[in-house]
Amino acid sequence: MRFLGHPDRVLGLLAAIFALLVIFVWAPLDSGSGLVETVRRRTSIGDAMGPVVAGVIISLGALLTIARPSHPASPVTLKNLAWIAVLFAVFAVSLALMRYTGPVLAVLLTEGEYRPLRNTVPWKYLGFMTGGAVLIAGTGLAAARRVSWTPIIIGLLAAIVIALLYDLPFEDVLLPPNGSV
Amino acid sequence: MFEHILLGIQAVFSTEGGLSFLGISVPMTLMMIFFGFLLGIFVGATPGLAAPMAMAISLPILISVFGFSSEAFLPVLGFLIGIMKGGTVGGAVPAILFNTPGTPDAFMTTLDGYPMAQKGQAKRALKIAHISSVTGDTFSDIVLVVCAPFLAVLVERYLDLPEKTALLLLSLAFIAAVIGRSVGKGLISMGLGVLAAMVATGEDFYPRLSLGQPGLSDGIPIAAAVLGVLIVGEVFKGLEDISREGPSVRPSLALSGARAPGLWADLPRLLPYIGRSAVIGTAIGALPGIGSTLAATLGYTSGQRRHAARKSAEDPAFGEGAPEGIAATEAANSSVSGANLIPVLSLGIPGNAAAVFLILAMESIAGFNPGPTVFRVPQDGINPELVMAFGIFTAMFVANALNWTIGGAFMRVVGVMARIPKQHLLPVVLLLTLTAIYVQETSFAAIWITLGFGALGYAMRRIEMSPLPFVIAFILGGNLEQTARQAFSATGADPFFLFSSPTSIAFIALAVFVVARNSWKRP
Repeated sequence: MRFLGHPDRVLGLLAAIFALLVIFVWAPLDSGSGLVETVRRRTSIGDAMGPVVAGVIISLGALLTIARPSHPASPVTLKNLAWIAVLFAVFAVSLALMRYTGPVLAVLLTEGEYRPLRNTVPWKYLGFMTGGAVLIAGTGLAAARRVSWTPIIIGLLAAIVIALLYDLPFEDVLLPPNGSV
Repeated sequence: MFEHILLGIQAVFSTEGGLSFLGISVPMTLMMIFFGFLLGIFVGATPGLAAPMAMAISLPILISVFGFSSEAFLPVLGFLIGIMKGGTVGGAVPAILFNTPGTPDAFMTTLDGYPMAQKGQAKRALKIAHISSVTGDTFSDIVLVVCAPFLAVLVERYLDLPEKTALLLLSLAFIAAVIGRSVGKGLISMGLGVLAAMVATGEDFYPRLSLGQPGLSDGIPIAAAVLGVLIVGEVFKGLEDISREGPSVRPSLALSGARAPGLWADLPRLLPYIGRSAVIGTAIGALPGIGSTLAATLGYTSGQRRHAARKSAEDPAFGEGAPEGIAATEAANSSVSGANLIPVLSLGIPGNAAAVFLILAMESIAGFNPGPTVFRVPQDGINPELVMAFGIFTAMFVANALNWTIGGAFMRVVGVMARIPKQHLLPVVLLLTLTAIYVQETSFAAIWITLGFGALGYAMRRIEMSPLPFVIAFILGGNLEQTARQAFSATGADPFFLFSSPTSIAFIALAVFVVARNSWKRP
């Protein structure tokens, strides 16, 4: 177990397992042709060759990482994972607001659909500004680790400025979510 | 050849499709170079931002606005080149005024720039940084214009398909071996990039490695993957660093005071340092994978040795406010920007993050495939790619002219950018990036894919695995496979086609040597 005491060796081992899966399972089972194909006496490289070469490169890197781990070690900690979880929670909320604010308000306020309104003011900005402001404020507050008004105000202002920056000069550009509804 | 050069210059100065300003038609490409240049200086002067970041965010928007036709080529490339050139001078501004490098390669500039600013010589330091930076950059561009066509002609004349495959493998091995602290991690990063490039890109009807998922059957969106790993990953890490270490302290401007000698008095003794660093930076820039930060370090170290041997007793040493230190650093890091286009244009291989976005732009727009064929001069008629290449060279010299004339004035204006706190800036960059991706792909799935690759880029940075080999291998993976397929067929299905000529054997042996030597020297 002392062998696995260094985080680089754990990384190397995981990379080696992944590479072996690519070479012996994923590439052969999920490609339309093998390593080499012969059709009408013409031999050519098949679709599985590229992924297998990638797997071999990863396995070489894995072996080198296991053999010569770097110092000082730089492991991924539980705190890092928690940070990513917090960020993705903010993204889930903000992107949901971006996607659904306009359509929900359209149903509530006009009893019609959002689609015919999506290129009219103020509808086309509603989702982007709400979701964008929450995304900026949420990530800013998570980084500051305390509640303050500054990231919220910056989020609102920046979302407005970015919406106008993309929308005013370019006629063909669709802000999110207007290309997906 | 001469006709191609003229047409290239003419294409940049063509007023077709340009805007009218006070009754005068302004060529679109010139206008785009100018705006890109301004943006480059601003992002270069803003700690936490860098030219590749602005290039990444701009590219999808530019493609959406200008489209994919060949008319879009020079305006889009002009804007990106403008950003790249502006970024080279912008990074020195906060380094000198606030002891905070605007870009990582300007760190060495803080060592002498800030002490000079504290002695009341901020303006003098900025002028030295400006003149050194533009001199190095212009020298590098001249080397590019001279070397890229010759290298391309050599490649076309002497390298056949097996040698080209071996050369691509050598470039990837070199990048994996020299970037970052660990060769093993560099190879893992590169292997993952090649693997990502293989998803749904084979010759068979079935989209390989797609796991039967419709979402993967069109392959991984290239902009989503590249922006995710390079930009979003950096934002995730930057925000976490702030959450751990607390918000950045707003820097205070160094005081001005005593009057300093003018630039012309400094120039004669600075020129040897600028010249030496320009050569170092250009040589480093021409090699794929070695960035401007190493160039700056080598330029500074070389200058330091010379200065220690020649300085008089009253001259400040390097690190204590020596003007020669700023000159050596800025000439070296700026001279990387032209030379890094040598492998891009002559071989189609991007050497650093800025080159990645230039290659992406070139490949997205119809009619230009970076590589040795660009410089093929036809017996009769015109090679449009060669015209575009000379258009790119012209755009670079126009950006240099802007740098020489108005760059210095803008440098003094953008000092205020360093006062924007990173904790407020990074979330805004994140929304700008995600919006840019949506504008190009018009799909929420692309946003989630970008965030997913952002998590990958974040994890790579945390375990100190450079994401650049991943990105470069992802871009070159398809090209590598296609060249290998053609070489295999052309050699009559010879499984040892990589060892079919002395040149290809030499390239493969060099690739093994680079990896082995670097793993021996460091982990």
